[in-house]
Amino acid sequence: MDHLIMKTNIRYLTLYISAFMILAVSCNKVYDVPVPSVTNSILKGTKPLAAASKALTEGIYQVNTANSVFGDTLVVKWTRKSLSFACNNGIYFVLDAGSLNSDILLEGYWRDGYSDGTGLCTMTIAGAEGGNEIVNEIIPQQIIMRGAFGNGDGTPDQTFTLTYIRPFSDKVKNTKFNVLAHRGGGRTSDRLPVSENSIEMIDWTERLGSTGIEVDVRLTRDKVAFLYHDADINIRLAKKGPLSGDIEAYSWQELSKYVRLIHGEKIPTLEDALTFVINSTNLDFVYLDMKEDKEAMAVVIPIQQKMLKRALDKGRVMTIVVGIPSTAVLDDLKTYPDYQSIPSLCELTVEDVRTANSIVWAPRWTLGTQNDLVRQMHSEGKTAMCWTIDNPAWIRDYVNNGHFDGLLTNFPSVVTYYHYIQK
Amino acid sequence: MCNRRSISRLLLLMLLVTAGYNPLSAQEEPSSYANGKIPSMYLLRSDTSTHYRSSIGLMMVLPPQDMVETAIQAPLFNYHGILSLPWKLSLEGDVTSLIVSNQISLGPGFNLSKNNFGLKLGWDAAFVFGQLKQFGFNNTTKAWLHYPNISGSYLWNKMIFTVKAEAIIVLSVETQTGENQLSADRNFYNGFSGAFYIEQRLYKNKVLIIGFKDSFVKYYWPVWLTFSTFDRFYHVPEISFRWII
Repeated sequence: MDHLIMKTNIRYLTLYISAFMILAVSCNKVYDVPVPSVTNSILKGTKPLAAASKALTEGIYQVNTANSVFGDTLVVKWTRKSLSFACNNGIYFVLDAGSLNSDILLEGYWRDGYSDGTGLCTMTIAGAEGGNEIVNEIIPQQIIMRGAFGNGDGTPDQTFTLTYIRPFSDKVKNTKFNVLAHRGGGRTSDRLPVSENSIEMIDWTERLGSTGIEVDVRLTRDKVAFLYHDADINIRLAKKGPLSGDIEAYSWQELSKYVRLIHGEKIPTLEDALTFVINSTNLDFVYLDMKEDKEAMAVVIPIQQKMLKRALDKGRVMTIVVGIPSTAVLDDLKTYPDYQSIPSLCELTVEDVRTANSIVWAPRWTLGTQNDLVRQMHSEGKTAMCWTIDNPAWIRDYVNNGHFDGLLTNFPSVVTYYHYIQK
Repeated sequence: MCNRRSISRLLLLMLLVTAGYNPLSAQEEPSSYANGKIPSMYLLRSDTSTHYRSSIGLMMVLPPQDMVETAIQAPLFNYHGILSLPWKLSLEGDVTSLIVSNQISLGPGFNLSKNNFGLKLGWDAAFVFGQLKQFGFNNTTKAWLHYPNISGSYLWNKMIFTVKAEAIIVLSVETQTGENQLSADRNFYNGFSGAFYIEQRLYKNKVLIIGFKDSFVKYYWPVWLTFSTFDRFYHVPEISFRWII
C-alpha cells in the first residue's frame, strides 16, 4: 500500500512542479522606461546656440534647490546632440537648448540610471543672469539656471535652480580620460529606449557622457562579424521570432532577415557599426570585445585595419582595439601574421599584455585599483583602463585614487561626474 | 501576457484543489501528523515536548535576468532545523549555501495550534557571507538581514499546507574587492516574500516538502558576485524540495 501511495503522491508532486514552472515562465513582460514626451515645446521660435556660447555654459554647478534629489553639485557638459547634466547618484539630464532674445531656454528630461525614475525638465538662463553674455559669446559674470522638473510626462512643477561655480579644472582639461560605455553604449537591462549593441545605441550613448564604447563581437556561420552579447538568441535581447538557440549557428542573411533586437532594431555588422562611429559620432575609442575565440581574428582584424584607415582619411584620431579577454583569444591572435603590431586591449596579466604588445591593459575592476601595476604599464608606454565598474562609490574611489586612463561602465554619466568634478 | 499568467494561476489553483483529494488517504489510518508520528516543519503542536527536527534539500531559483544575464545558475543547498521549546516557543535555524554565497539564520518563533490549524510568528536574523578568490576574482562579502515572518498551516488529509509571508530588512551589506572595501547602504527595507509549502507524506513517515516562493526584493544575496547596482524591485521565484530527516 505504501508503494501505491507513493506512486500516486509523486503524480501529484509532478503536477505541482509543472504548475509552478508554467507560472515562472508565463510572463516575460518587456520592461521599459519611456523617454518623457514634451508637449508645447518652449523651444519653438528659439535659435540654436553657437559653439562658443555652448562652451561658456559648461562647468560645475551648485544645486540650490532639489539637492536632496540631485546632489549638491552637478556637471554640465555639451555632447554631440544635447546638453547633459551628470549627477553623482546616477541621475542625468538630457536637454535641448536655444536662445530667445537674450534668454537661453533649456528643455528635456531627467533619468535615474539606477532605477526607473524619469521626468521632464525646463530651465531658463535669463538675460540678466548670464544669458545675454552667453548669447553674445562673452564670459558671463554669473550663470543661474532657473526652472522646474517633474515626474513622468507630468508638467514640471518642482523648483530646480542651479548656480555656476567654476569651469572644469586644468587637470581635467589637460587629461585624456576615456568614459567607455558598455554594450555599444548601454545595456538593454538599463531600460534605455534603444537596444544594446545596436547602431541606435551607439548614436544614443554620447548623451550619457560616453567618449568611447565597448561592443561585443561574434561571427555568423558564414563568418560575418556582428554585434551581440549572448551566445544564444533569447527574449532578453531580441524580439520573439522564428530563430532560437546558438546565434552563431545562423548565416548573416538569416540573422539579418529574421532577428530584431528588443526595441526592433536590426543586428548590426561590425563594419556597419564602426562606419557609423567614424562617420556620425564624436566617439574616439572602440573596444571590440571578442566573444569568439576560433579563427575570429582573421575576420575581425582586417575590418579593424580598414576602419582605422577610414578614420585616418577623415582626419579623425580614433583608437579601435581588438579585445583579449581570454587566453584562447590570445592564442587566436597569435596565429595572425605580425600580431604584435595589431592594436589590442588585453584583459589578462601584464605579461600577456607584453606578449601581445597590447596598447591597453584592462583588468577586471574587482581586482582593485592596482596602482603599482598601472604605473608600470604607463612606464612601458601603455594605457590602462578597467572594466566594468558601476557602483557610484567605487567609481568615485577609482577616479580619485586610481591611475586608470579610463573606466568601462554601464553608467557613463556617473564616471563623467566624478572625472569632471576633479579640481 | 497577463491573461496567460491568470490562466496559469487558475491552473495552479485547480491542481492544488485536485491534489487535496486523495482517495488512498481515506483508506489509511487517521492522520498521524497530530500525534507527532509523522513530522512537520511548519505545523508545530503547542503541546509537544522539546524536540528537534530538521530537513535538507535543494532550492532552485530564477534570479532576475537583469542581474545574472547569461551567468551559470546552480541550485542552493538548504538545511533547516527547528527546536520546539516549552511555552509554545521554538527556535528555528537555517543554512543555505551556493558555496560562494551562504546564509545562516536563527530566530525565535511563537506557535499556536488548534485542531487542524497552526499559526506561527517568527523573527529570524541572518548573516550572509561569501567569497570568490579563484579564477582572477578577489572578492568577499558579508551582510546582516532580518526576516520578521508569519505563517499559517492547515492539515488536510495527509498533507499540510502552509502559507508564509516575511518582510526582508537589510541591516548592512559590505563587499570587498581587491584592496577596496565598500560599505553599501545600511538599514533599508529590501522587500518581502510570499511562500506556499506542501508537506506530503510519500511513504511511512517520510515527508517531502515542496515550496513555492516569490521574493520581491532589491538586494538578492545569492547573486552578490554580479555586483548589481539596480535600484529596483525584482521578483525572484523559487521552488524547493526538502526531505524531513
